[in-house]
Amino acid sequence: MSSETNDIFSDEEKDILQEIMNIAFGSATADLAEVIDIFVELSVPQIHLIPVGELPDFLKNTIHAYDETVIVDQKFWGDFSGSGLLVLPSRATKEMLMLLADKEPEVSFTKTMATLEKESLVEIGNILIGACVGKLSELLKTFATYSPPRIINGSNVQNAFIKSFDPSQTAIVLKTIFKFEHKDLSGLLLLLANQESIGWLRKALHEFLESYE
Amino acid sequence: MQGAQIMIKKILIVDDSKVARIMLKKCLPKDKAYEIIEAVDGQDGVNKYREFTPDVTFMDLTMPVLDGFKATAEIMKLDKNAVVIIATADIQRKSAEHVTALGAFTLIKKPVKSELMQEVLAAAELKLSKLPGVK
Repeated sequence: MSSETNDIFSDEEKDILQEIMNIAFGSATADLAEVIDIFVELSVPQIHLIPVGELPDFLKNTIHAYDETVIVDQKFWGDFSGSGLLVLPSRATKEMLMLLADKEPEVSFTKTMATLEKESLVEIGNILIGACVGKLSELLKTFATYSPPRIINGSNVQNAFIKSFDPSQTAIVLKTIFKFEHKDLSGLLLLLANQESIGWLRKALHEFLESYE
Repeated sequence: MQGAQIMIKKILIVDDSKVARIMLKKCLPKDKAYEIIEAVDGQDGVNKYREFTPDVTFMDLTMPVLDGFKATAEIMKLDKNAVVIIATADIQRKSAEHVTALGAFTLIKKPVKSELMQEVLAAAELKLSKLPGVK
């Protein structure tokens, strides 16, 4: 992280954001556990402030830590605007379908197995990203609207959404690594917000903490 | 015969987030002069438990070094009567079952609300009052 971007948030502001992300992702995994019988092991969320020009390299290094990946992307708008990315290993698609369907699904003429796998992944991305951004918005007393989630190819990830960010700006990256118990599967949830959200976010973070005083 | 009512005096808060510790402290009743001890991860929490023997311990689950599951297990090994209250964002049913099996007193969801905090502390005092040897 450059010193310039490092100064955008104070340590206290980053700590508040980290705790809010922790609460938001915890809530999202509980929502997921209501739909599928799975236990998600959580880790401490990380906050990064990255110049948009450096975002492709950051994502490349982060995502390429996972061999073959599949990514669900969902955009959100409001005071806090950006993209949510759920990154999972490609082999997770079949597992996710089995968990959602609770058995080997019947394949029809209209829906191939590959389509069903994609749909199950989109649904899981929708639950995790939607619930996480929703809880974050609730805690910060705002409201978000969403685009439909979509699957993007790992090799297209950089071009697929980075062009929606102004290259002269800084992105806020909230990163959570998680692991599905007994499945040998781990994934990554990234929330990327644009610089226009920073001013509002700093104010909202202070108001959040002040509400406890 | 009813045992004496035990009042909580010493509270240990184990959370890697300074903000989470601030938020939790602010939910404690203002009219009580608790001695508050803070720990920054599970291992620090176990060490501080051993050093200070608090009446009640608030424990986060998702922490570096030693997570709250393992720290709770360690504390329960040190003191089977320890009152460990899990204060966490991890509100999955399986997490609640896991910490209950480890011997945690209860689990409360973050962000903690003042009203719930009062209820939980009252329940903890009741439990402490019923421990063997308390008259």
